[in-house]
Amino acid sequence: MTAAELFQSVLASLPEIVVVTGACILLIVGQLVPKGQEHFLVWASVAVVLIAALLTLMLAGEVRPAYTGMFIADRFAVFFKFVFYLATVLTFLLSRKYADIEGIGSSEYYVLLLFALSGMMILASATDLLSIYVGLELMVLCTYVLTGFLRGERRSNEAALKYVILGAASTGIFLYGVSLVYGLTGTTQLDAMAAAVSGNPLDPGLLLAVVFIVAGLVFKVGAVPFHMWVPDVYEGAPTTITAFMSVGPKAAGFAVILRVFLNPLVAASDVWIIVAVIAVVTMALGSFVALVQDNFKRVLAYSSIAHAGFAILGVVAGGQDGIASVMFYLLIYAFMNLGIFGTVIMMRNGDFSGEVIEDYAGFAKSYPGLAFLMLLFLFSLAGIPPTAGFFAKFYVLVALVEQGFVMLAVIAVLLSAVAAYFYIRIVMVIYMREPERTFEPALTPLVRATLAFTAAGTIGIGLFPAWFLGLAQRSVFGG
Amino acid sequence: MTVPLLSLIVFMPAAGAALLMFLRNDDAVRWTALGFTVLDFALSIVMLAGFDTTTHEMQFTERRPWVPALGITYALGVDGISALFVFLTALLGWICVLASWVAIDRKVKEFMISLLAMQALVLGVFCALDLFLFYVFWEAMLIPMYLIIGVWGGDGRVYAAFKFFLYTLAGSLLFLVGVIVLYFQGGETFDILALTAQDLPFQVQSWLFFAFLIAFAVKVPMVPVHTWLPDAHVQAPTAGSIILAGVLLKMGAYGFLRFSLPMLPEASVYYSTLMLALSALAIVYGGFLALAQDDLKKLVAYSSISHMGFVTMGIFALNLRGLEGGILQMFNHGVTTGALFLFVGLIYERTHTRSIADYGGLMKVAPVYTAFLALFTLSSMALPGTNSFVGELLVLSGGFAANFAVGAAAVLGALLGAAYLLGMYRKVALGPVSARAQFKIHDVNGREITAILPLAVFVLWVGLYPKPFLDVMDASVKHLLTQVHDRESGQ
Repeated sequence: MTAAELFQSVLASLPEIVVVTGACILLIVGQLVPKGQEHFLVWASVAVVLIAALLTLMLAGEVRPAYTGMFIADRFAVFFKFVFYLATVLTFLLSRKYADIEGIGSSEYYVLLLFALSGMMILASATDLLSIYVGLELMVLCTYVLTGFLRGERRSNEAALKYVILGAASTGIFLYGVSLVYGLTGTTQLDAMAAAVSGNPLDPGLLLAVVFIVAGLVFKVGAVPFHMWVPDVYEGAPTTITAFMSVGPKAAGFAVILRVFLNPLVAASDVWIIVAVIAVVTMALGSFVALVQDNFKRVLAYSSIAHAGFAILGVVAGGQDGIASVMFYLLIYAFMNLGIFGTVIMMRNGDFSGEVIEDYAGFAKSYPGLAFLMLLFLFSLAGIPPTAGFFAKFYVLVALVEQGFVMLAVIAVLLSAVAAYFYIRIVMVIYMREPERTFEPALTPLVRATLAFTAAGTIGIGLFPAWFLGLAQRSVFGG
Repeated sequence: MTVPLLSLIVFMPAAGAALLMFLRNDDAVRWTALGFTVLDFALSIVMLAGFDTTTHEMQFTERRPWVPALGITYALGVDGISALFVFLTALLGWICVLASWVAIDRKVKEFMISLLAMQALVLGVFCALDLFLFYVFWEAMLIPMYLIIGVWGGDGRVYAAFKFFLYTLAGSLLFLVGVIVLYFQGGETFDILALTAQDLPFQVQSWLFFAFLIAFAVKVPMVPVHTWLPDAHVQAPTAGSIILAGVLLKMGAYGFLRFSLPMLPEASVYYSTLMLALSALAIVYGGFLALAQDDLKKLVAYSSISHMGFVTMGIFALNLRGLEGGILQMFNHGVTTGALFLFVGLIYERTHTRSIADYGGLMKVAPVYTAFLALFTLSSMALPGTNSFVGELLVLSGGFAANFAVGAAAVLGALLGAAYLLGMYRKVALGPVSARAQFKIHDVNGREITAILPLAVFVLWVGLYPKPFLDVMDASVKHLLTQVHDRESGQ
C-alpha cells in the first residue's frame, strides 16, 4: 500500500478513527473526573459523536474505497452511520439521569458505547467478510459488557452471560461460513467472491457457506430461529442499553445483511426463500408471543423481533426499492423505538421500576402530555397513519408488491394487525384505567429533549416523508 | 391564487383541536370547539353554494406533490357524491359538540380534541382524490375513535373499543395491499381519477374487489362482519354514536362508490348479485335483531345495519334510481339515525337507563321531546313525507329492477322496521307514566333543541322536496353509471 493510498484510506475512515480515539481519550480522562461531574462525560461523548458526524457529512461527497477493498465509505454507509449517531447520542442523553438512579457511576459506560458505535460504523462500511467480522466483534463485545453493567442485579448478570454464550456460538457459525467461502472461492471480499463463482452459483458447498453466514448475521438482528436471547437480554440489560441495542446494533446487522445478501452470489442462490420464511416466522413469533407479556421491556423485545421480521421482508423484495425500504424502516424505527424506550426509562425513579405494563395504569390522568407521546410512539410502532411507522411499513409493502410477492404482503399486514393488539393494549392501560399510584417520572431537560426530538421525528417523517424517502433511495448502494 | 376551500374545511377542525390543547377552562374548551365546528359548517355551506351541479367533474380541486418518488400527491376535490357527505359531516360536527356539552364531564378537553380530530379525518376521507391520502385519513381515524369509545364510553367500553379497532384494522390492512397492487397495475399512480380510467383484467379486478369488499363491508357494516357495531354503539358516548352512525358507516358505502364501482366495473357487475343478496340479508337480519332488543341504543344500532342494507342494495342495483336512492339514503340515515342516537343520549343523561322496559308515558312528562322523537321514528320507518321515504322508494324501485327476490326481501325488511320502531315508540312514549323514570325527566332545553332542529328540518326538507339533493348528485351518478356499464359492455 503506497503512502497516497494509505492517506486516502485514513481519510475515508476518519470518522471511525475519531470515535475510537475519542473513546480512548475518555477512557483515561474519565478516571480523573471527580464524583458529581459526570455530566462532563455525557457532553464529551456527545461531542465526539458530533465531530464524527460532521466529518462523515464532509466526506460524503464521493465513494471512497479504502484498505485494499476491505472498507468503503459510500452513501449507503453514510446513511447507516447517521442512524447510529442518532441512536448513540440519544442514548447518551437518556443515560445521564438513569445512570444516577441505577448507580452507574463509571466512565466505562460511555466509553463502551463509543466503542460499540465504532464497531457499528465499521460494519456499515465493511466490504470484506473479515472486516465485517472485526466490526461485528467490536460491537458485540461492548454490548456484552454493557448488558451486564448492573453488577448488583441478577437479571443483568444472567442476561449478559446468556448473551455472551449464544453470541459466541453464532460468531463461530459465521466464521465457519466465512472459512468455507474462502476455501471454495479463495477470497473473502464480497465483490471478488461474486466474480469467482459466476460460473456455477449453485455449488452445494457454497450454499452451505451462505446458510452459515446468514445464520450468524440473523442472530444479530434477533430473527427466528436465533431470537432466544432477545427477550432475556432486553429485559435484563439496563434500559438505556436495551434502547440502544434495539436500534443501533440491529441497524448495523441489517447494513451487513443488505451488503451480503444483495451480493450477486447470494442473490443467485435462491437463498431468498429461506429469508422469506425467516421473515414470516419472525414476525409471527414476535407478534403472538408479545400478546401475553406483562413486562414492558419484554413486550418491546418481542415487538423488536416482529419489526425485524418486517424489515427482513424488504431484504426479500430486494432491488432498489427493497434496499431503500429497509433503510427507511430502520431510520423510522430508531425514532419511534428510542421514543418509547425514553418513556420507559423516564418511569424508572427511586424504587419504582416502571417495567410492568400495569404500572402505567391511568398515566394519562396525571401526565396527559407524556401519555400522548406514548400514544404516538405506540401507534407508530403499530403502523397506524399518520405516524412514520405507517409509512415505513407501507414502503416495505410497496417493494414487496413491486417484485410480485403479494402473498407475502398479505401475510405481513395480517400479522401486523395481530401486533397492533399489544400496542393498543398498552394505550388502553394508559388511558382507560384509573391510576393506582402517583407517578414521579424522572424528567430531566435531557430526557424531555430526547422525547421531543423522537416525537418530532415520528410525526414529522409521517407527515412529510418525501425528503427522508429520497435520502434512503439515493443512499442505496450501486444505485 | 384561489382560496383552498377544501383544505380549509378539512383542517379547520384540526386547527381547533390544536388550539384546544392550550386551553384550561372546560367552558372555554366547549365554546371554542363549538366555534370551530360552526365555522366549518359555514365553510361547507359556502362550498355547496359554489358547487356546480351540471358537471360530474371534481370541483374545488387542489393538488400538491407530497411524496413524488412514489407518485403520491396531496389532492383534494369533491363531486356530487362527496359534496353531500362533506356537508353532512360538517353539520353533525357541531351537533356532536352540543350533544356532549354536559354529557361529557371529565377530560372535556381531551374529548373535544378527539372529536375535532375525528371530524377533520372524516372530512379528509370524503375529499381525498389520492388513494394514499385517502388511506391515511381512513386509517388515522381509528385513533380518535378508539379513544372516544374506550375512554368516555360505558361499562364495557374497553372491550368495545378493542373490537372496533381490530375489526376495522384487519379489514383496512387488506385494503392497503389492494391499494398497492392497484398502484402497480394502474401505472404507478395513486391518483384516483387516473386509476378510474384504467382497464384492469377481470382476474385482477376480482381479487381487488374482495380486498376492498372486506374493508368497506366492515365499515358499512354488512352482515356477517357487523358484530362490532352493536358493541361500539352501545358503549360509545352519544357524540361517538352520532359520528359513528352519521358518517363513519357512510365511509364504507362511499368506498364502494368511489373505488369498487368505477375502478372495478366488471367485477362490480359480476358480483352484484352476491352484494344484493348480502344487502337483503342485512336488511332482514338487522330488522329481526332490532325487533328483539330491549336496550334503546342496541335497537337503533341494529336498525342501522338494516338501513345500511338499503344503501348497499341501492348501490349494487347499479341503475340510476338505485344509486341515487342509495346515496340519498346514506344522507338520510346520517340525519335520522344520528338524531335517534341523540335522543337516546338525551334521555339517558336524565335517567341513566337505556332499557325500554324502564320507560313509559314520556309524552306526558316531556311533550316536546316525544314530539320530535315521533318525527324521527316515523322518518326512520320511511313514512311518506319524511326523508327516508324518498330514499327507500328509490332504492326499492332500483332493487326490484335489478333482482325481484331481493326487492321483495327488502320490502319485508321495511315492514319489520315499522314493527320495531312503532313498538319502541309505543312503549317509551305512550301508556301510563313509568314509576321509575318519571320524576327525573325534564323536557328538552334550548341547547338541545338547537341540536335537534336542523336535523328535523332536513327530515322534512328531503321528504317534501328532495330535488335539490338529487340535483347535486345527479351528474356524478350518471357519469358513474356510464363508467360502470360502458366499460363492462365494451368488454
